[in-house]
This record gives sequence, C-alpha cells and structure tokens, in this order.
Amino acid sequence: MSMGVPEIEDAKLLFIFGYNGADAHPIVARRIVKAKQKGAKLIVTDPRITESARIADMHLQLKGGSNMALINAIGNVIIAEGLADKKFVEDHTSGYEEYKAIVEKYTPEYAEPICHVSPDLIREAARAYAKAETSMILYGMGVCQFAQAVDVVKGLASLALLTGNFGGPNMGIGPVRGQNNVQGACDMGALPNCYSGYQSVTDDAVREKFEKAWGVPLSNKVGIPLTHVPHRVLEEKDEAKKIHAYYIFGEDPAQSDPDLAEIRETLDKIDFVIMQDIFMNKTGLHADVILPSTSWGEHDGIYSCCDRGFQRIRKAIEPKGDVKTDWEIISLISTAMGYPMNYKNTQEIWDEMRSLTPSFYGATYEKIEALGSIQWPCRDESMEDKGTPYLHKGGKFAHPDGRGKFFASEWRPPCEVESSEYPYSLSTVREVGHYSVRTMTGNCRALANLEDEPGWIQMSPADCEKLNVKEGDLIRVYSRRGSLITRVMPTERVKAGATYMTYQWWIGACNELTTPYLDPISNTPESKYCAINLEKIDDQASAEQFVKDSYESIRTNMGIDTAKKGV
Amino acid sequence: MGKQILTTCPYCGAGCQLYLNVNDGKIVSATPAAGRTNEETLCLKGRYGWDFLNDPQILTKRLTKPLIRKNGILEEVEWDEAISYTAGRLSEIKAKYGPDSIMGTGSARGPGNEANYVMQKFMRAAVGTNNVDHCARV
Ligand code: SF4
Repeated sequence: MSMGVPEIEDAKLLFIFGYNGADAHPIVARRIVKAKQKGAKLIVTDPRITESARIADMHLQLKGGSNMALINAIGNVIIAEGLADKKFVEDHTSGYEEYKAIVEKYTPEYAEPICHVSPDLIREAARAYAKAETSMILYGMGVCQFAQAVDVVKGLASLALLTGNFGGPNMGIGPVRGQNNVQGACDMGALPNCYSGYQSVTDDAVREKFEKAWGVPLSNKVGIPLTHVPHRVLEEKDEAKKIHAYYIFGEDPAQSDPDLAEIRETLDKIDFVIMQDIFMNKTGLHADVILPSTSWGEHDGIYSCCDRGFQRIRKAIEPKGDVKTDWEIISLISTAMGYPMNYKNTQEIWDEMRSLTPSFYGATYEKIEALGSIQWPCRDESMEDKGTPYLHKGGKFAHPDGRGKFFASEWRPPCEVESSEYPYSLSTVREVGHYSVRTMTGNCRALANLEDEPGWIQMSPADCEKLNVKEGDLIRVYSRRGSLITRVMPTERVKAGATYMTYQWWIGACNELTTPYLDPISNTPESKYCAINLEKIDDQASAEQFVKDSYESIRTNMGIDTAKKGV
Repeated sequence: MGKQILTTCPYCGAGCQLYLNVNDGKIVSATPAAGRTNEETLCLKGRYGWDFLNDPQILTKRLTKPLIRKNGILEEVEWDEAISYTAGRLSEIKAKYGPDSIMGTGSARGPGNEANYVMQKFMRAAVGTNNVDHCARV
C-alpha cells in the first residue's frame, strides 16, 4: 500500500475496487465504515453486492472481467471534463500523452456494453473521485486474479496520478492482499527477479554486493515463477530445462493453485518433491520427503503487514513433537549441500538482511520492539527514522527520473468466456472465518463449525428457479477441466448468469474448475473467472452420502483416525 | 501462573496485534492489543484462530516427525536421515540437470520474514538459481 491502514478513515473519498473488505480483512473494513461515518464518500466497484457496496454512495456493479474498460472510461471522463490535476501531471509524471491517446476512445458510452454500467454512473463516479480533496483507491483480489491484472493495477495508479492523489496523507492506492505475509515474502526476495528490498537480480552492482556478502557467484538470470512449474514439467521436452525438484515451503499448491488436476499430475511427475509445513495437506500426498516445522505461536520472527509495517511475532508455547524452525531446517540442508549456514536466532538473520537492504536498514529489532510497528522504507538506524507512513512524499517516485509513469492498456476479454455448453461464469471469492487453504482455521474448533464441507455456490434466485434448485441442495458444477459437488446458496447479491464459490473447501474445491491462464506480466492465474455449467442432482440422498464418504476418506488420507471425529 | 505474549495475528495482512494468554504451557485465549492498525480490536479469526496449536485434528493433523516416502509409503525417520537424504537428492539433481532444474517456494503464511530470507538465500547461493517464488500470485 502506498498509504497506511489508519489513514483509510481520514480519506475524503474511498474508491474500492474488487475488494471485499468485510470478508477478507474485517479490521480494514472497520476503517472503511469509520471513514464513512466521518463523512467520506464511498464508491464501490464489484460485480457482487458486497458489504461495502451496501453502505456505498455509488455501486458500480460491473460485469466480471471488464475492469480495464471501466478504469479507462473513468480516466476518459476526468480528461474530457478538465478535472485532471494539471500541475501534478506536469511536475511529477511522465507518459501523459500516450495515456490520453489510449483512453480517448473509452467514452462511457463505449464502455457501457462491456461493463454493463450506465454512462451516467461512470461520469458521476469519475467526477466524485477527481473532485474530492483526498481520494484513496483500495483494490483486492477482484483485480489481481484476472489475466489482465497488472494492466488494471497500473490503470488504477494512473487515475491517482491524473488527479494528484499521491504524495500526501490519506490518499494513494493500496492493494489489500489475501495471505497475511504476502508482503513479507515479497519484501524478503522470495521472488524470481529480486533479492530482499526489491533489488534486481539483473543489476550488476546489486548482484556483486550479494556475491561478496554470501561468498559465491550468483545467477543473473531471472528465475521462473511458480505458475510456470506445470508447463516446465509436463510440456518441456528438453530434460535440461525441465523442473526436476520442487521444494515447497509453507504452501499447499495441491489445494490452492488453479486447475488442480494439472497440479497433481505435475507433482507426480517431478522427480523429487520436498514439503515443509506444519500440517499434513494435499501436497503431502505427493511428496517424497516431509519436513515438519514449528508454527506461528511456536517461533519468533517478523511479519510485514499490508501497509509495509514490520511487526514482531513471538514464541508463546513449546512445540510438540520432533519439529524444527523453518530457518533451521533450510540451514541444515544448505550446510549438508556444502554451503554452511549457522544462524543462532532470527535477529541474526534479520541483521544480515538489513545490512544488504538499504530501504530496510533502519528497522532494527530494538526499534520494532520500541515502536511496535515500522513501515518501510526505514533507512537509518537512529531513533529519528520511524519509517514511512505513506510513499511518494512530495510527488517523488521510485523511477530513475523521479516521476510517476502513466500507463493505459486496451481492455481484453477474459480468456475463457461463457458459451452454450458452459453458460455460467464462476468467480472465486473469500469467506469470513476460514483462511486460505484452511489447515489452520479448519483445525480451530470455534471456526471449523462456521461452515462445513462441501461449501457453497452463490447463485441468483432467477438461476435457481431456472434449474429448479433451492437453498442447501447439492448441485453438480462442471468446467472444461473438472467437476465437483457443492451446495446451492441463492442470493440477491449476484447477477443472473454469474456464480461465486469460496476456494478453501476440500470436497467442493473450486480450483478443480478454474483455468490456468496467466497474466503475461505478473503470471497470476485467472482464477477469478471461468465458464461452467450447473446440473441439478435428483438423488440428493446418495449425493449427501458421497459428500460424507469423501470427507471421511480425506481425513483418513491425512492420517486422522476417523473414530476421533468431533474431539 | 499465566503469561501474556504480544504477537501479530497470522490470518490476514491487516497485521492486528494481540496477546496470547498462556497457562501451563497452553494457550487459553487471545485478547486484542493496541496495535497501529487494529487499536484493540480483533475479528473472529484473530480471537479464536490460535486453537489449531492444540491440534484438535478436525481436518488434518500436525506433522510431528520427518517422513520419507519409501516404496510408496511415508515412513517416519530421524532428522539426520531426512536432512542427508534431502540434501543428497538435491545435489544429485543439481549435478545432473543444473541448478535451474530446481524450484523453491517462499511462504506467504506463518513462517515469517527471516525464514523467507533464508529460503531465497538458500536457492540463490546454495542451489545457484533464481527459481524462487511464493503464492502471492495465487
Ligand atoms: S484479527 Fe482479523 S483482521 Fe486482524 S489480522 Fe487477524 S484476521 Fe486479519
């Protein structure tokens, strides 16, 4: 996020794009409600009537997969009506003319048939966004999980550039992402193209610095993204270019990745699969070796929250069983492979990381301890440098010329659209109470009871009537890649023809259905959108039995003694 | 006597601060702390999400011992064997197909920043590849 979470409540206008705060981050959602109470205007763009949409001043209920067209239309209105912040554009940005040339044709009338939002509403939203004293954009997975994700994010940033909504408090643009430490994994360089602090592996000076510190020559070739692994295993013919070993650390691709059938095949074909985790999971069923690690609550460290805040996690209890911390396990393997690593504790690791990462250098353990939270960049060790609540202060950007770069791109339709054979669209969404792949919350007694297998599919009442199904009925869902059984949840909140499922269920695993199409830049799979068909199940009793049997067999596969159920 | 441990909620990027209340080496409850982002509030997940640490085995169970697949079946082994087996197989594959034939992940979940730093260093310095990524994309 370019801003801090507390600033949300002081923005004069919030533009919420494909982000369902109430479900994804309840505490961020609370700030949105507060902002509204303090008089902020709220514009929500979402195909569903989300909690935020209910309290919004304007709800742009666009058709799934049309984000780019809508954003271009908003830019078009701001320019056409002379609402741009000309001084900011002149002093602090580049690429305006190219931007203008692309959005020119996206008049609200041109966008309407693509987005299904009325031209009046688009104009009204654009005017409100441009005219508010400080406007803040919050976006979520509704943006990121489309194949055109990176374009859309840059398009949103361009709206903030166009209206001068960067460089001060209570404005800017903020991704609010799913998993708790996505920011941290990126910050630390768990990315194929950069070391910690976003330092590029192709920058010679940076690489030499790391080579010197680590004492070995390093590769200057950008690595492959996770989402390319299936291709590099199943389709790559050249043995030397294939992936032969896969070290999976704290993730569960056999549940969380799109197109699960393909992932299972991939894991089975890879010569050697290492899984390191706290719980047995679906990936474990394909692993050659499983390394048990300590969990949150059992180890020390630092997380980065969504607004760049470094905060401590602390060990509260002793782990049970013969487990080790993640960094110890990796260090032992490294040492056994001839590259010794001997860290005593997390602080020692953190200090090494800081010494190589200028933008985090000032965030010492002592300072995080004293202040509770430090938002990077924090460059100086002295107590004076308390970090950076918002980025781009005074309109300075990270590009070499210090300017924010405009970016517009033509709208592209989703890779897989509805057809006569698969007449409905399916999007994956998040749900309150259950976290990601669920091994953690699914094992919390108070949370496990919230909902139960096999999960639900949200459908419009009109579609339910057409298929003659009612709430709670089991229904079969098909795509070109797989099928599953789930329960019907009729809701007025979705449009006819569109359906929604949450992704954490094991029997109703919606990733059996989703597509592996990727955004060409971010390599994000398009899991927000695919085409499906629905089929009423006449024999409900045997479908119920099937669900029950599948649940028991999953638990048995995970090594749980079935008789212990309900403990 | 019980103790209170200040920590960060592991369930979403909001980064709420909370106290784990520990009695007899067991977590008994969680209470909100005055964090920058949460100001003494927590959602359901923050309040009750610690229970998995007691391993109630509702959905799956905690791993408590290293396992190696032998003749198709996962068998419990000692750490020494697990580490030397893993390091050996990785070295073999690296020698045969080169470092870029190995892929590693970071973790966007519980392990924390230090473990991610060590993982990417391992992939880059010990294995010799930039093939490291995490599930942010998924
Ligand atoms: S308490 Fe709720 S909102 Fe806060 S970090 Fe945890 S899951 Fe997120």
